[in-house]
Amino acid sequence: MGATDELINGVVTCSRIPSVKRRQEIQRELRAHMEDFAATARGAGHQEDEIETLLRSHFGDPEEVAEEFAWVYRHERRRLLLVSYAASTVLVAGSLLLAILAIQSGLAAGFGTSILEMLASRHTVIEGLDVLGCVAVYLAVTSLETLFEGYRFQKAVLLVAGLTAALIVGCAAMSLHTTFLFYGLITGVFLRAVRLFVRKKIVRASVVPICFGCAGLAFGLLRSPISAAGVEATCASWLALGAGYLVMTDIAPRVESTFLNALQRI
Amino acid sequence: MLLHLLSRGEMYGYEILQEASRRSVNAFNLKEGTLYPALHQLEKKSLIKSAWRTAENGRERKYYSLTAEGKKTAVAYEKQWQHLTGAMAAILESK
Repeated sequence: MGATDELINGVVTCSRIPSVKRRQEIQRELRAHMEDFAATARGAGHQEDEIETLLRSHFGDPEEVAEEFAWVYRHERRRLLLVSYAASTVLVAGSLLLAILAIQSGLAAGFGTSILEMLASRHTVIEGLDVLGCVAVYLAVTSLETLFEGYRFQKAVLLVAGLTAALIVGCAAMSLHTTFLFYGLITGVFLRAVRLFVRKKIVRASVVPICFGCAGLAFGLLRSPISAAGVEATCASWLALGAGYLVMTDIAPRVESTFLNALQRI
Repeated sequence: MLLHLLSRGEMYGYEILQEASRRSVNAFNLKEGTLYPALHQLEKKSLIKSAWRTAENGRERKYYSLTAEGKKTAVAYEKQWQHLTGAMAAILESK
């Protein structure tokens, strides 16, 4: 690879400019500049290898140039990240809810409860919001972690907690439902912590459903009066939730990065 | 400085650097790669606009020129700069 291609690739690949068209235009512009530089240097009697050395020293550090381009296009990049975050949150939460509802429908049938009644209940709406809150917090934490150098998880959690608190205050002021925001924050942070700090997959696969199952048992027992079958159904439902969330921790960041890559190709 | 150079007419990147170097008698020594982010930033602020055209050497080049807003800003910056250099000169001469 010649100095021209090396410098251009160095700039374009590190610039994180969120548009293929713009990246291609910058490539074209830099190539034109280097052609002019080489033509002038040849005219001044320099040899090809000298021209390469001169080009490198006059052009400057490609990483520095890329950083400056990244700064110029920072707003576009943030917008793209936001769009990809929102789209992947909705897609992952929607898919997860469908999977959880399918499992719960099976469980409802097993426990002799009407599936239609279960699907049409207020509980399903709340569950949908809970799933949305959890996925939104989980993806927000993983996305924000990339902004920091050290203590990434802790800083991202603090930021997300602050944003969630502001949302809770806003929703409460408008007399809107806020429980799903609390739930989303707690479960999202818990799942991310498990993902980060519990290294072994088998342990993770046990910890998450057990914790959710226990939470289900606690909620079932807190509801009174409730039958033994009701407690079992709540436990089983929370177990299914835990299993679904565990799968989500694997899929969600991949979906987000696929979205981001696809958007960057536009 | 870029706005002032472009106030004399449209130019492409390499031409801007050559012109800056010529006018400053080679005192102006910017790393060439950093010129382009600066031009893109000015274009984002709508102070300059660009268009691809064939240059005198027969090659395609991206020409930059000032917008109406850019012309106003260039005049304002020039006045500001002249005021500043005048003040500096007065301070240095006063000793």
